[in-house]
Amino acid sequence: MDDPTRRELIRDALRVAAMLGAGAASLGGPAWALGPGSQFGIAELLLDQGTTSRPEAWKRLLFEVIQSTSVECDPTPVSLSPEDPLLFAHPFSVLVGTGSLPELSDAAVEQLVRYLSYGGFLLIDDASGNPGGPFLRSVQALTTRLFPTRPLSPLPGDHSIFRAFFLLDRPVGRTANATALQGISIGPTTPLVYCADDLSGALDRGPDGRDHYPVVPGGEWQRREALKLGVNLVLYALTSNYKHDTAHVLELMREGRLE
Amino acid sequence: MSTWLWTTLDPAGHLAWTSSDAVVSLAVAGAVLAWVAAVWTSRGLPVGATSLRVASLALWALALGTLAAALSGPSWVEERGRSEPGKVVVLVDGSASMGVLEGAAPRSAAVAEILKRIGPDAELLTFDEDIHAGAPDPNSPDAWTGRGTDVGLALSAVADRYLGQQLRGVVLITDGLDRGALRRELAAASDAGQALAGAVPALPGPLTIYQVGQADDLYDVAIDGVINGGFAFLRTDFRLTARVRGPAGLTLPVTLSREGRTLRTKQVKLGEDGRGKVSFDVRPTKVGRFAYMLSVPVDDADAVPGNNSYPVVIRVVRDRTRVLQVSGSPSYDQKFMRLFLKEDPSVDLVSFFILRTREDMGAGWRSDELSLIAFPYERLFSEDLDSFDLVILQNFDYKPYFDRSADELLGNIANYVRDGGALLMTGGDRSFDLAGYGETPLAAVLPVALGVTGVRSDPTPFRPVLTDAGRVHPVTRLGASPAESEAIWERLPKQDGFNEVVGLAPDSAALLEHPSARSRTGKAPILAVREVGKGRSMALMVDASWRWSFSEAAVGRGNQAYLRFWKNSLRWLMGDPEDQRVVITPARENVLLGDSVRVVIKVHDAGYLPVDGAVVRGTVTPPSGRAQSFEAVTDASGEASIEVAAKEQGAHRIRASSPGVPGRGETVFAVSDRDPELVEIVPDGVFLQRLAAAYGARAVYRPPGDPAGPTLDASAGREVLDRRVIDLASVPLVGLLFGLLAGGAWITRRRAGAR
Repeated sequence: MDDPTRRELIRDALRVAAMLGAGAASLGGPAWALGPGSQFGIAELLLDQGTTSRPEAWKRLLFEVIQSTSVECDPTPVSLSPEDPLLFAHPFSVLVGTGSLPELSDAAVEQLVRYLSYGGFLLIDDASGNPGGPFLRSVQALTTRLFPTRPLSPLPGDHSIFRAFFLLDRPVGRTANATALQGISIGPTTPLVYCADDLSGALDRGPDGRDHYPVVPGGEWQRREALKLGVNLVLYALTSNYKHDTAHVLELMREGRLE
Repeated sequence: MSTWLWTTLDPAGHLAWTSSDAVVSLAVAGAVLAWVAAVWTSRGLPVGATSLRVASLALWALALGTLAAALSGPSWVEERGRSEPGKVVVLVDGSASMGVLEGAAPRSAAVAEILKRIGPDAELLTFDEDIHAGAPDPNSPDAWTGRGTDVGLALSAVADRYLGQQLRGVVLITDGLDRGALRRELAAASDAGQALAGAVPALPGPLTIYQVGQADDLYDVAIDGVINGGFAFLRTDFRLTARVRGPAGLTLPVTLSREGRTLRTKQVKLGEDGRGKVSFDVRPTKVGRFAYMLSVPVDDADAVPGNNSYPVVIRVVRDRTRVLQVSGSPSYDQKFMRLFLKEDPSVDLVSFFILRTREDMGAGWRSDELSLIAFPYERLFSEDLDSFDLVILQNFDYKPYFDRSADELLGNIANYVRDGGALLMTGGDRSFDLAGYGETPLAAVLPVALGVTGVRSDPTPFRPVLTDAGRVHPVTRLGASPAESEAIWERLPKQDGFNEVVGLAPDSAALLEHPSARSRTGKAPILAVREVGKGRSMALMVDASWRWSFSEAAVGRGNQAYLRFWKNSLRWLMGDPEDQRVVITPARENVLLGDSVRVVIKVHDAGYLPVDGAVVRGTVTPPSGRAQSFEAVTDASGEASIEVAAKEQGAHRIRASSPGVPGRGETVFAVSDRDPELVEIVPDGVFLQRLAAAYGARAVYRPPGDPAGPTLDASAGREVLDRRVIDLASVPLVGLLFGLLAGGAWITRRRAGAR
């Protein structure tokens, strides 16, 4: 028979660790969905120009999600074009931009509208190093075509993205110029988010495993915050405004972690 | 006046024909034919007898004409008028309130003395909601049974009946408890300072109003009414407020009970006006119809024991469906499920997602960096459990959290289902046998049998297929017809794999199954449902139902299939009384003792279409517990009806089922001897005084005990018409005349040479 005190300690440890449980994985063996298709994955959207592929950044993010959360992930990102029907096999997608984007076809726009309206999530990451430059203008033109009545707007500081897993004060990436993420909200959810600070740049690594870019101005602390933002974006894409549920807000306020 | 035809006729009279047109026509036609026959047979008479022949035919014509005239009903009508004194019409209130006891005698006892004062020649009429001749026995309280006293109707009936006449007087004997519109109208006009005369009908004589009954002689405590909305929301307080009446200053206990079980008692002190209010807040925990009763004690001296209790049937409905979604890890399936539940305004969702497992705790993050909170599993699955309509365990492994209390907490969930709750378990690597649920109390309420050893899931993509039950079940009905539903299921995208189970649990049905994989009970079930006790459970052995939404949207078909599937599932899992396959509806929810009530039982098939010819068997259980069985057969509209006699006071619960149709219908109606006529029994002298005032000088109000007789108009008289009708056909001279004429004609014809 187990020592009750010891069991209580274990249970308290689980609870005080401020997380919701220990999951099936703790019972032995890795956690797998019933099939690989239901694991969380990342699809990079690539266009003919203006976009770049950073698979190592996304592998790093997925690794962190696997290490820190209970989300079951396919650790290898895929690359797709916006017209590709396989897009609907990947409800989480990213588009990393370096410059002006070409105009998307009507078919691509139509597919993206359906994708975002029915549960897909798109992170647009500005890697141009030129806030307010041609890439942002292309993104604004694209979002206007996608949702003519819903302009790209700053997300409030208490948006669920900032508390989906980690408690964050502001968004940062390789740079830290913007004070807010921008996004398009449909009802209570935000299926499209624009990050102006090159999030993927902070996560990207070279073949040797070293960070590809220096992070300014916060250095490694900022890179860590960027990684937390990436994890939060994944968790937000899966749990939506879960962290705005009354039970969570009241408990976090009671513990002084939220004001 | 003269003597004629051996009878006396008044020359001022007039002749009238009384036979019907048909008889007159037949008489004339017969006479003409007879005369033509006489002409025809006289052709052979000798030529020299022409004058005799003409005389004979003339006499025949006169004789036949006399006969036809006699058959046409000639009558002599004489009319003559004369004057008599006007009538006295007495209107006696025959309602049940006149029979209540005041001291030792019924209120109606005063009626006999008043009638004696009026005299025997008066025309007596009794009124309640109608008017009829005569009056009940004043000394027999049981004879006063009328309902719906309508003083205005009675006065209008007198005005119409004696229109154009003069009455010596109209006498109204009543306690003033008018249930018609007149009392309200006079009160409203009085309050508004308006003239009252326009509210009352003009009467053909002076009105004397005798009030019978006095409040001082009456002891009656009653619940005059209960303020309620008729329905309440599940798990939300609703208020029942009783209006209590009785002697001023009295303190009374008021008891609230539900279907014979006392819930609470409160004291209420009546004010100087003898009235008081007391409220009870009630929080219903189940949907359906429930009979509540508010009552005050019955004293031996109570004039009307029947109004001491007040039954109320409350329909409890769901305002919102409260759903607990517990997910073992964030996933696409959990995401789409949450989006679906969150977007439904009728759903009140409480979600708990396990965001981090024990293995993830080594990642090096400090607790204060995280937004995670403790999982309040003990509270959720014990004290809070009954607050939910549906519990969803979505790929959730209980073991790391429930620890020593696993059997207790999972047993709570199992009992919650048996007691009427709903449970949905969906697949994944932390669900069914992969989480070891087969060894827990929860296995007993799942629709699938657990206990698979070895390989417990299959990651091979497959497309589920409908079973025979799935083709008609409301959960899997995605289209307008079974064929359309099947076509939709056939085109939906494949699933990523499935949880293997031993097979179907007893009394369960598989709605979707694997196209090839087998279990011990047949094809491997993919979606199964079960009715357990009063609750329902569902098992979906896949973790990619989200593809039914997203992949459909990919090809421009939206997410209707996904939404419809889960909406159907929610509705079925709730199993609300109105969504049952057998639905019972009483025509009335509050029934008077001794009356009968019609109850309709409707039977639906799996697709919720009416079932023709279904046998319905059920019971009606009165408070005594002596249940009466009934059996009926539904018609083409799926309905069967029965008449239930209300022989006992209290809640009557009706339960019915139909062989082969899952589930059971249930409802309730309340029976009381609360006669609406006796809800208010204190005489209303104010109304009667207002009524007298409305007639001005033409009416007088006599309070109880006033010995004065009625006000009569001695000059009122009436013309009485005497009428005499003499049947002329029956006087002897008519027969003699016909005999002479016919005989003369026969003799003349013989003399003319006829043989």
